[in-house]
Amino acid sequence: MKKILPTSNAIIAVISGSLVLLGYFFPGVFGNIQSILIGWAIILAAFALFLGIFNLAIVHWKKAKTTGPSSIYSLVLLISLFLTIIIVSLSGPTGSFSLWIFNTFQVPVEISLLAVLAVVLVFSGARLLTRRPKWQTVLFLVIVLVVLLGSAPLFLLGEVAPLIALRGWLAQVPAVAGARGLLLGVALGTVATGLRILIGVDRPYGG
Amino acid sequence: MTDILCPLCGKPNPSELDECMYCHAPLKASGFLAPSDQEGDESPFLTPLDTSAEAETSTVKSEPGSPLERAIPDWLKNTEEKFLEGVESKPEQPTSEEISAQIESLLNPPVIPENVVEPANDDDWLASLLAEAGGEPLSLGPEEEQLGGPAEASDVSITEPFIEKPSDEEDALPTQPAEKPDWLTGLEAASMIKLSGEITPGESIYAEANVEPEAEEIPSPIEIPDWIGQADVMESSPSQKEPEPPIAAAELPGWLEALRPEEATAATEPVEDLSAADIVATGPLVGLRGVISARPSAIKARKPPTYSIKLRVTDEQHARVEMMEALLADEQKPKPIPSQPILTSRNIFRLVVAAVLILPIVWMIITNSQRIPTPQPGSVPGVVDFTEQIQSLQEGVPVLMAFDYEPGFSGEMNLAVSTLINQLMLKNVYMTLVTTTPSGPALAESIIKSVATMEDELGSYSYYTDLGYIPGGTLGLLGLANSPQAVLPYSLDGINVWATAPMNSISIINDFSAVIVMTNDPDIARSWIEQVSPVLNDDGTPLLIVTSSQAEPLIRPYYEANPSQVKGMVAGLAGGLAYGRIVGNIQQNGVWDAYSIGITASSLIILVGSIIGVVLKMPASDKKKES
Repeated sequence: MKKILPTSNAIIAVISGSLVLLGYFFPGVFGNIQSILIGWAIILAAFALFLGIFNLAIVHWKKAKTTGPSSIYSLVLLISLFLTIIIVSLSGPTGSFSLWIFNTFQVPVEISLLAVLAVVLVFSGARLLTRRPKWQTVLFLVIVLVVLLGSAPLFLLGEVAPLIALRGWLAQVPAVAGARGLLLGVALGTVATGLRILIGVDRPYGG
Repeated sequence: MTDILCPLCGKPNPSELDECMYCHAPLKASGFLAPSDQEGDESPFLTPLDTSAEAETSTVKSEPGSPLERAIPDWLKNTEEKFLEGVESKPEQPTSEEISAQIESLLNPPVIPENVVEPANDDDWLASLLAEAGGEPLSLGPEEEQLGGPAEASDVSITEPFIEKPSDEEDALPTQPAEKPDWLTGLEAASMIKLSGEITPGESIYAEANVEPEAEEIPSPIEIPDWIGQADVMESSPSQKEPEPPIAAAELPGWLEALRPEEATAATEPVEDLSAADIVATGPLVGLRGVISARPSAIKARKPPTYSIKLRVTDEQHARVEMMEALLADEQKPKPIPSQPILTSRNIFRLVVAAVLILPIVWMIITNSQRIPTPQPGSVPGVVDFTEQIQSLQEGVPVLMAFDYEPGFSGEMNLAVSTLINQLMLKNVYMTLVTTTPSGPALAESIIKSVATMEDELGSYSYYTDLGYIPGGTLGLLGLANSPQAVLPYSLDGINVWATAPMNSISIINDFSAVIVMTNDPDIARSWIEQVSPVLNDDGTPLLIVTSSQAEPLIRPYYEANPSQVKGMVAGLAGGLAYGRIVGNIQQNGVWDAYSIGITASSLIILVGSIIGVVLKMPASDKKKES
């Protein structure tokens, strides 16, 4: 049985991947099969999300049972999780109580985190040259200042056209070039990984 | 003058001598006079013997001589002559095998066949000699009486020398000489060793008898051959009727035992002493001693011996091990964080930075400052096209809207999103809400209600449906593009919206009039573009994106491409303000001024902080170089 299962898993994975791939090239012939397989994958992904939440609850339940300074945070998480589940189950995902929880807790917390992040980034930028006095640091700080000053009209000064133009060039040419390079690398890696899974070399499903 | 024959060597000695001049044997006690008057007489027993020996073996050599010499038995003379000839002709030392064979022949009586009548060698001459010496004549035994005359003796075939057969006459000879020479004592010892069976054939008799071999090489007139001594030994051993005592094992001296060749010991068979062996009690070999028992105990597994695995370490190595253990134990100990004072320069600087950022922003929002002019729609890329696409929508048509931004970015995104929703509500567009983030449905519902609340004329807008969360990420988007009914069959309210208008006219995603994606994540925007845009472009359904400033550089190429995959876009706060300015829905509320002063303050803080840091760092680095 231990020998049969890996082989059957590999056969299923290779056939499914090949059918989905053929659905892109021959949508009339393999389009329906591709839709069915994708629907199955979506259901499995949803169930995986449920398993992830369940695992999160178990992990923090174990942490909450231990005596330590971090157990209180796990306990808070568990209480929040179960309260939210209860309220959303009763009120519905878009009910008034659910929206109250969302607007009262989630949105302010996330916005505050981003606000703190902004302060920390500014503080770190101010101390960067002190901690690492190199020409790369100077270049980094110059680009940061140009992008910031070119993003919006300066207070009491208004728009500075050269800075806006320079900011547009930096954002569209060097930044996008670097990002596209990374994306191309990721795409090539994805293609290679997909081919390896299709031919059965990589078996992330085990076996 | 009458000579006395030595009873041992047989040589004539003057009568006045008490002991033999040749072998120093005592002559008076056991000696006898040569029967000179019996010259020419031959023993009636020896005559036929000599003839027979001459005829058959030719080993006995009859030689006329003096009466004394004739009185000596022929076998004795013959043997003596052989010995003398051998000594003279073979000056070299005889081999050990020859000596051993000789001693063996002397010690062991010859095997005479049963049909052979042993001649009686207790001849008359010996009796006469004894008579002359005053001894009693020996009585003939029954064997001698059977021999009879020479005619009877001639019939006897003799193949063995007579000297190897001890007889009764030899018992009559004086068995206790006055004193034995050393060589004879040595020979006796050698004979005893031989009889005990502990002497191997390869051993030298000279070594056994403590006699130097060189002494044999030098013939001496008084030297008695070995066979005589051996014969003397024979007189006392086999002829005695009394039971023999057990032969004691010879004790070799230590130096001789050390010189013993290995071949000799190897040639002897190992003798196993089975007296102490166990008797088999069970099995087919029961009762036998010294055999391997067939009991399972013979092959019973034993507990393996335990060996100490304790390492031998020196004191230095032990000290190093202890040091390493102490280091490892110290690594695992939590080190207390040194308490720092609250008011440090770093903390003060942090507070100054926060205050410089927060206070102006709060001030601008509170005062609803509008000093900074809003951005022009033409200066923000994508806003005009986006506005045109929205304005081109027909009333009541279904529009797919994806709320895929995080609630934390709602401050930046909500300005453009609220303006968009307001415009869609004014057109009475049927909004189909989906999301790929778990918090998307609540975010969408929250902003729709907030927009409807702000606009009194909209009232409680309910011409929309929320299909909820699309699981599966990229796969979910692909499934949504191909068959939205299969991926999201029901709304969050549990209603099959695909069966009612206007959703009943939608089978694939390009049946929507527009697809509007609102996201702050460039990866999510890319997934929508790559998975959905190919399906949409076939039918001309526009893909519109509302995004944040951080994702705008990556999404913008899709918009600026030709043909473009994104028909219009609104990016960041500037895009939202520009879009609102176009549609006439200005909701600035001092946000743009706060955004502007926040950017300016941040730039100044970074610039000033860097300058101060460089200024303060330079003297410190100079001091370090000097030191």
